[in-house]
Amino acid sequence: MLDLARRATPVHPHRGRRTADVQYYTQHMSRSSHVHPPAPLLVVIPAHNEAESLAELLPQIQSRGTTVLVVSDASRDATAEVARAHGARVLQLPVQLGAWGATQAGLRFALRHGFRHVVTLDADGQHEPACIGDLLAAQRESGAEVVIGTFPERLSRARLLAWRWFRALTGLRVEDLTSGFRCYGPRAIEVLASAEATLLDYQDVGVLLLLRKHGLAVRETPVQMYPRRNGRSKVFASWLLVAHYMLQTTVLCLSRVGRLSLPRRRYADAPT
Amino acid sequence: MSLAFTAAALGLLIAGGILYLVRRDHLHGSHAVWWLLVAAAALLFGFFPSLVDTLGVALGVKYPPMLLVIIGLIALLLKLVQLDIDLSRRERRLRRLTQKVALLEYELHQRTAQGETKPAVEATAVPLTGRKRRQAG
Repeated sequence: MLDLARRATPVHPHRGRRTADVQYYTQHMSRSSHVHPPAPLLVVIPAHNEAESLAELLPQIQSRGTTVLVVSDASRDATAEVARAHGARVLQLPVQLGAWGATQAGLRFALRHGFRHVVTLDADGQHEPACIGDLLAAQRESGAEVVIGTFPERLSRARLLAWRWFRALTGLRVEDLTSGFRCYGPRAIEVLASAEATLLDYQDVGVLLLLRKHGLAVRETPVQMYPRRNGRSKVFASWLLVAHYMLQTTVLCLSRVGRLSLPRRRYADAPT
Repeated sequence: MSLAFTAAALGLLIAGGILYLVRRDHLHGSHAVWWLLVAAAALLFGFFPSLVDTLGVALGVKYPPMLLVIIGLIALLLKLVQLDIDLSRRERRLRRLTQKVALLEYELHQRTAQGETKPAVEATAVPLTGRKRRQAG
């Protein structure tokens, strides 16, 4: 396990604006004595009490030799231990931040450690790890900063209706707004790791709107998905939650109407 | 009991309560300033209730007591909005810090694993129940 952790020492300093995380990396990591071949891809798996699903999922990814980061969102089960046992790197959030907060922690990790591409994957076994290559290929071919893996057949009619509503509100042309199976490029990682993206709650419309605001292209590519192995969607668990989600996301959409970029706040008070 | 007495007593009570809270450090910084202003207003209107009438007439309000109610409501609304803005700012900070703790903890573990330094205390951000579970299993 130790060797696994050492092997993929990052070597790609991030170009562009120097955020504190990048600065840390360039100061401390690039001069480190052991410089190994580049490990530009990081698979980020946000997980909240997903020890069982991870035990099935991780071997499938590890066999491909990819660096995996499991972000344990204040899990109370053996999520972190299982992940470590399978050779994954592990971040443990001391306070539960939700799926997006955990994903963003992974993006910050990528920025800090010099990974130039991040693929996010749900821990519950919905997404087929074999399709990671498809996402990367789609990104290479299209040159888009973000590629979303979509599986439209999974959507119920109610959900399709909801997505149509959000598409109409925002003008986004993305078929599957909430898919957590995505590939982010270096510029997207930097934008989404910033404090500006911290108050988002889901990896969906808000993230896409922020990407659009920064002029980053988003593409979709079809992938294989499966029904969740354990449990159901946390967002679509009850009507009350659905109503809350719809309302919150609608307000978010309306507050971002139009492409006029309000002068960007600096969030000087937010810790980097 | 006259109106003057009741008003003055209420004003004193509110102002006294707020002063006490500020002195006991339960309200700090800008919050203390806001609430001291409220205390001052309570004292002013408590000792000079006729101020409401004077002010109402000056502003053309037909039923002056409503003026006080409306001013109070607006002040409350402003305070509530300010509170929620403050809460959002805190939430952002809390999330950033939480992520940072996890990132630093990872690096700390890396270093200890490499034997560079050994921390005196095991620094872990695992929730208490999680730790118990790990010891058990």
